[in-house]
Amino acid sequence: MTTEALALIVFVPLLVAAGMVVLPRSWLGLLIRIGLLPLPFLLLIPTMEVVDNGAYRVVLAGHDSPLGIVWLLDPLSLLMLWLNVGITLLVSLHASFSFPPSDQPARRFWPLWLILFASMNALVLSADLFNIYVTLELVTLAAIGLIAVEGKPAALRAAMRYLLLALMASLLYLLGVGLIYGQTGVLDLYLIAEHLEPAWLTITALALMIVGLLIKSAIFPLHAWLPAAHGNAPGPVSAILSAMVVKVSVYIIWRLWFWTAGDWDLDSAATLMGILGGLAIVYGSVAALVQQRLKMIIAYSTVAQLGYLMLLFPLASTLAFQAASYHLVSHGMAKAAMFLAAANILRSVGSDRLSRLAGIDQRLPLDVFALALAGVSIMGLPPSGGFLAKWLFLEAAREQEAWGWLVLVAASGLLAAAYLFRVLAVMCLHPRRRLRSDRRRRAPNLASVAAILLAVGAIVAGFASAPVLDLVAAGLPPGLAP
Amino acid sequence: MLGIVLDLVIIASLIALAIQVVSGASLFRGIIHFIVMGLTLALAWARLGAPDLAMAEAAIGAGVTGALMMVAYRRLVEITPDHNPSRTGSRSRLALPIAVGAGGLVGLLGLGATLSDPEPGLAGLAVLEALQDEALGNPITGVLLLYRGLDTLLEIAVLLTAFLAAVAVTRREDLDYSITTRDPHTPLVGALLAIIVPLTVLVSVHLLKAGSHDPGGAFQAGAVLAACGVLLVLTSRVSASSQSRPLIGLGIVAGLISFSLIGLAAMLRGEPPMALPGMWAVYFIETAMMLSIALTLVLLFAGTESLRRNQHG
Repeated sequence: MTTEALALIVFVPLLVAAGMVVLPRSWLGLLIRIGLLPLPFLLLIPTMEVVDNGAYRVVLAGHDSPLGIVWLLDPLSLLMLWLNVGITLLVSLHASFSFPPSDQPARRFWPLWLILFASMNALVLSADLFNIYVTLELVTLAAIGLIAVEGKPAALRAAMRYLLLALMASLLYLLGVGLIYGQTGVLDLYLIAEHLEPAWLTITALALMIVGLLIKSAIFPLHAWLPAAHGNAPGPVSAILSAMVVKVSVYIIWRLWFWTAGDWDLDSAATLMGILGGLAIVYGSVAALVQQRLKMIIAYSTVAQLGYLMLLFPLASTLAFQAASYHLVSHGMAKAAMFLAAANILRSVGSDRLSRLAGIDQRLPLDVFALALAGVSIMGLPPSGGFLAKWLFLEAAREQEAWGWLVLVAASGLLAAAYLFRVLAVMCLHPRRRLRSDRRRRAPNLASVAAILLAVGAIVAGFASAPVLDLVAAGLPPGLAP
Repeated sequence: MLGIVLDLVIIASLIALAIQVVSGASLFRGIIHFIVMGLTLALAWARLGAPDLAMAEAAIGAGVTGALMMVAYRRLVEITPDHNPSRTGSRSRLALPIAVGAGGLVGLLGLGATLSDPEPGLAGLAVLEALQDEALGNPITGVLLLYRGLDTLLEIAVLLTAFLAAVAVTRREDLDYSITTRDPHTPLVGALLAIIVPLTVLVSVHLLKAGSHDPGGAFQAGAVLAACGVLLVLTSRVSASSQSRPLIGLGIVAGLISFSLIGLAAMLRGEPPMALPGMWAVYFIETAMMLSIALTLVLLFAGTESLRRNQHG
């Protein structure tokens, strides 16, 4: 059953996307539902499997590695699958309003949207270095098409820049894969560990792959493409880009670092990764503080928040792993909620310049509420998922007496609070707010509900953390298990 | 001895051509050098004993990509007639250090890889061993369809995604017919097509069929078929259309859908997903992929999501 369910989780959205190219436009609404709605139910079957047995291998075409490709479902990949399915479904609720199936752009948007969804599912399941390369390409290309789908010049420019950098990143990753395959003759992520010794050539190969993936996940100082791309894409696309697309590359780095090279001595490299993360947090927050457009502030906030995921490398403990995984979940929901709320505001006001947003809390209370709720989680205020993740990071740092990281995590919450309160102050406390009473087109209410649902999810994550944390603890990499 | 000299000539010309591609005085010269470099690279693959790669490089890397670059150049000239694209802007001061650094890195890695003592290629040996139980003679086709079918399926999805992304950024007013020949009615064009079109179809079908035992396969066959389609676009036998047609849509996704469905159907027989039921499935999937590859490339060349036939007396 699990094999069938996993295959359908990847292939249903892919086949539906292909169907959208062939079938007439009147079918589009139905196809969207077929491609998305069965997925949570299908995902229950693998969940049962993981809860009962811990992990599950699918040997594709019946040819086990090293000959064929294997999918590995373990607690971490299950978490990523749930995150992708949950966020994509909620964001799709918003997208069904911003790209209604009856409109012309919908025929361009939805096939790419479903391909992106399917390819991220295939990516997190894959246990094969080359297969990961192909799925990464698919994710990137679909994301680029989606950024440019509305044809606005700024978005086209951003998409082109993203394309060039992402292609370079892919080539770096592929070069690394080629070198590793040349050394070991194996591509299986978990089998390589037995054949690979930390010689200079293999270290270089791994470094090339990780640098490529760092570009794709926009970790400082390789983030240059992200703010323009995430800030100019259509709302639902920005949401999924920040919530999922950059995260799956980080997920692959974790796999390489803790599984493939799990028993290597990488202390100094880990410190370097942590420093990059710290710089990302500081730089992203300061840059967000000086932006004039709401979506750009949120985009730079993503640059900052991605930095936390890098802190896992120097801390490297059970607690740190739980913290980073939980940050992945809560930031995914909070950031998607923020981008959706920002999209509704942009649609309603016609601009997302802060100077135009004074007093919009009266016109768009739901969206401002969603923005504020998600902000609570991003700042790490209790009781929210973001708070819990930061708390776990602090615990992990205290446990190892890594005071530098502890101070960084504690201080970074203040930075996040600074740039988010700047936004909220303009919206809710601006002296001009009473003067504005023009009521123009409002975003459809269900689009706001999607943002609210995600924001509430990020808050609720602060209470209902036990299942996720237990799941992560059950799926620790071999080196970290207590 | 002659072999080494030949290899050295290929290597030297590859490096020289690569420099010319990026630093050529004009964009147009860069494109021409890129095509020549693709052909030289095909020679290099042939020298390395990889005829499948050589054919794919020549057909796709040099042929179809070259045609796409040419048509992009043509459009660029058209969109910005004032701005002369043949003169490239001032070169960045970082270009040389980056080029030297990248070249040094690749050279160092290549040297390291050749000097190191790798383990025997486990996957490669496994392919050759497993292939003895199959009716397939070409290990490349075996890897592409039987052992690592998911990679190939996702590559086809990449092509579809590239097409969808290209369509997403193409505006209606971009459709133009300037790439076609000025006078499609000259008798010579018709006679030429009458010879070339059947021949290319024959060649691509042969490549497809040969792929099961000798070098060849869906990608090479699709590229050759695409060349035929490009010729038909250039001679305005078919031209860009904004009206979507179900048959064209079906052609674009035929490869992805047939591979996916056959791969999923394995689970109904109690086999793991992506297991193929027999040689007929290999031929069926390869044919569908060839059509999808060819059609997608022609549509990319024409810069459109659909095509229509033009009548010529």
